[in-house]
Amino acid sequence: MKQIIVIAEIFQGLIRPVTWELAGTALRIAELEADSKYLVNDRGKGQNDKKKNIRRQKKSGNIQLQKELKSRIRIIVPGEDPLPVAEKIAEHTSMDVICLKIKGLETYDCDAYKTCLFRVISEMDVVSHVLIAHTSQGRDFGFGLGVKLNAASISGVNSIFSDDDGLVYSRAVYGNEKNMMIRPAPDIPVVLTIMPGMFRDNIMNNLNNRTMEKGKITVCEIPFNGSYPLKKTKPVSDTGVDTDSAEVENIHVKGKLCQKSTAYPCQFASRIIHGQILRKACGNKALKGAKIIVSAGRGIGEKDGLKEIFEFAECFSSSAVGASRPLVDMGWIGYDHQVGITGAEVSPRLYIACGISGSSQHIAGMKGSEIVVSINKNPDAPIFRHSDICIIADVHEFIKEFLKQR
Amino acid sequence: MRILVCIKQINDNGDMNRFDEFALEEALKIKEKAEKQQQTPGNSVSVDVITAGKSNSFKIIRRAFGMGADSGFLIVLKTKEKATEYIPPFTIASLLSAVADKMHYDLILTGIMSQDMMHGQTGPMLAELLNFPCATGVTKIRFPVKNNFIQVERELENGFIECLEIKLPALLTIQAGINIPRYPSLSNLLAAEQKTIMTRKETDIFPHRGGVKEFYVSIETPEKTRDGLVLEGDLAGRVNQLLNFFKKHDLN
Ligand SMILES: Cc1cc2nc3c(=O)[nH]c(=O)nc-3n(C[C@H](O)[C@H](O)[C@H](O)COP(=O)(O)OP(=O)(O)OC[C@H]3O[C@@H](n4cnc5c(N)ncnc54)[C@H](O)[C@@H]3O)c2cc1C
Repeated sequence: MKQIIVIAEIFQGLIRPVTWELAGTALRIAELEADSKYLVNDRGKGQNDKKKNIRRQKKSGNIQLQKELKSRIRIIVPGEDPLPVAEKIAEHTSMDVICLKIKGLETYDCDAYKTCLFRVISEMDVVSHVLIAHTSQGRDFGFGLGVKLNAASISGVNSIFSDDDGLVYSRAVYGNEKNMMIRPAPDIPVVLTIMPGMFRDNIMNNLNNRTMEKGKITVCEIPFNGSYPLKKTKPVSDTGVDTDSAEVENIHVKGKLCQKSTAYPCQFASRIIHGQILRKACGNKALKGAKIIVSAGRGIGEKDGLKEIFEFAECFSSSAVGASRPLVDMGWIGYDHQVGITGAEVSPRLYIACGISGSSQHIAGMKGSEIVVSINKNPDAPIFRHSDICIIADVHEFIKEFLKQR
Repeated sequence: MRILVCIKQINDNGDMNRFDEFALEEALKIKEKAEKQQQTPGNSVSVDVITAGKSNSFKIIRRAFGMGADSGFLIVLKTKEKATEYIPPFTIASLLSAVADKMHYDLILTGIMSQDMMHGQTGPMLAELLNFPCATGVTKIRFPVKNNFIQVERELENGFIECLEIKLPALLTIQAGINIPRYPSLSNLLAAEQKTIMTRKETDIFPHRGGVKEFYVSIETPEKTRDGLVLEGDLAGRVNQLLNFFKKHDLN
């Protein structure tokens, strides 16, 4: 039986809610694979698809339709002593849980995660999927883990489909203007980082519909300070040419011929030293409690453009000014005005987006708003897909006219 | 200290991925600080840039020279000139690692992601291939280096920041806002014309593109999450419609 692996997201000893979304997504994948009309080959049978052909070869005849899941879902919970959280996860999801004890791991560590997860996963039978949150933590270790596992790797998955040839994963490209559909190669595992918030709705239903028996817990222990030296992963080409023999020797640097490198021998325990986790001052003070938020993006052009945004906001009785991240990055406005995944999550009665393109990171912060009005000169701006009222116009001209008429 | 910055050209005009501009600026700032301090003579900082892209990607190398980079590498990809060609991040990371591995870099910087493909995978994969420790979403780098460890801050969600010390050689992916990237200077751009860009073809490094483990299927316009009534008419008319809408919904 194929296995779908979920890596729980633990932050400061607590379960991040995105973990439930990952569990739900795993269930969705298992159901899609079970429902689909094609017969999935058991992975790991050694059919290396040498052809770079996106079409999976269908087995003729013998097409099965099965209700039963063909995959087993297991959730890995890493931590120094993750048993209590593992219990909670097993209870809440009724899925089997691997409690991965990493001795000496006081906080999330990229090297420790990659090394220990690789060891656990590579020893499991036919792993088809590894699901990781597309968060600051998941993006930090997920892709390196993918390299170690020699897996396909798809980041920021926002939707999953199945067609005659198997599952296809959708991810945002071009600043959220489009989705690109990607199919992983068959017969190898795929690492997926799952965009938080995209699967939330149907997932909770999925989880709730299950018979709520507590999942089985397996404890697995790996020492963190132990002797687990990293081997260097080699990039591979089809012909098996490795980088050492590739023709890069003759690169001149400032007239000198470079020498061949030696591998840097080190153990992960010594490579990253963790300091404090701090919190940036004053969360969302500027935005808290406002009934109406007028938010500015790069489309306002220059810092002076903020003046008219503030004037616009003053037209309403309980209002505040929000901003997209680049404005904060450029120092035009304080961090406490930033809306989005790395700023504040707001849900006012009315959100007016002025010259904001609508990146997924921004949408994540304002999608709970009751009414969204957007002003943007680009009719294809993604923000319009998330708006109740769309105004295709130059933001300065529109605001000027608004101030005149009211 | 030798620094490599991985950069990406996002269109045929030679525009650099926004996040890479922050990475390059940060490298240049480290170099300038080292020059000012001069604590350890003979131990100066050099900043190289590398890109894997279409043959016209020499444009961003020139741009990087204009900003102050010392040397530049271009790996010309075997592209099919198809607009939607999908090049796996692992392919790019493998090519970059083939060059970077020979060069003994102490620090490699990349943008947190590219603004067009938005994978965010190339940096962490490159770190893995080179066996460098890696930190993603870095918003502060403290210089000078102490005992071969460099102090950084990386950004988490909800305003949280994690402080780390990371052992060199290391790879950091840089988040926007860490600095304000400079524009290329005219004198640098002029000097850049004398510089050679070290160019290799993808096929010189790997005769066949290997490790392709994902495939492009299609590109689509995402679904709407809200109805999106588009206001029609002239500006005055639309403002009027909006005011009426606000009135109707008691938004004042
Ligand atoms: C890990 C990570 C976390 C992030 N967190 C956040 C976050 O919390 N919040 C956030 O906002 N971003 C965040 N970002 C950045 C995000 O990816 C986008 O870069 C950002 O949201 C874009 O801001 P913008 O819409 O203002 O700018 P742009 O994307 O440049 O959009 C500007 C828009 O203005 C329009 N425009 C231009 N001129 C005019 C005009 N005269 N009149 C009308 N419209 C005009 C354009 O058509 C365009 O749609 C994050 C990125 C990463 C990688």
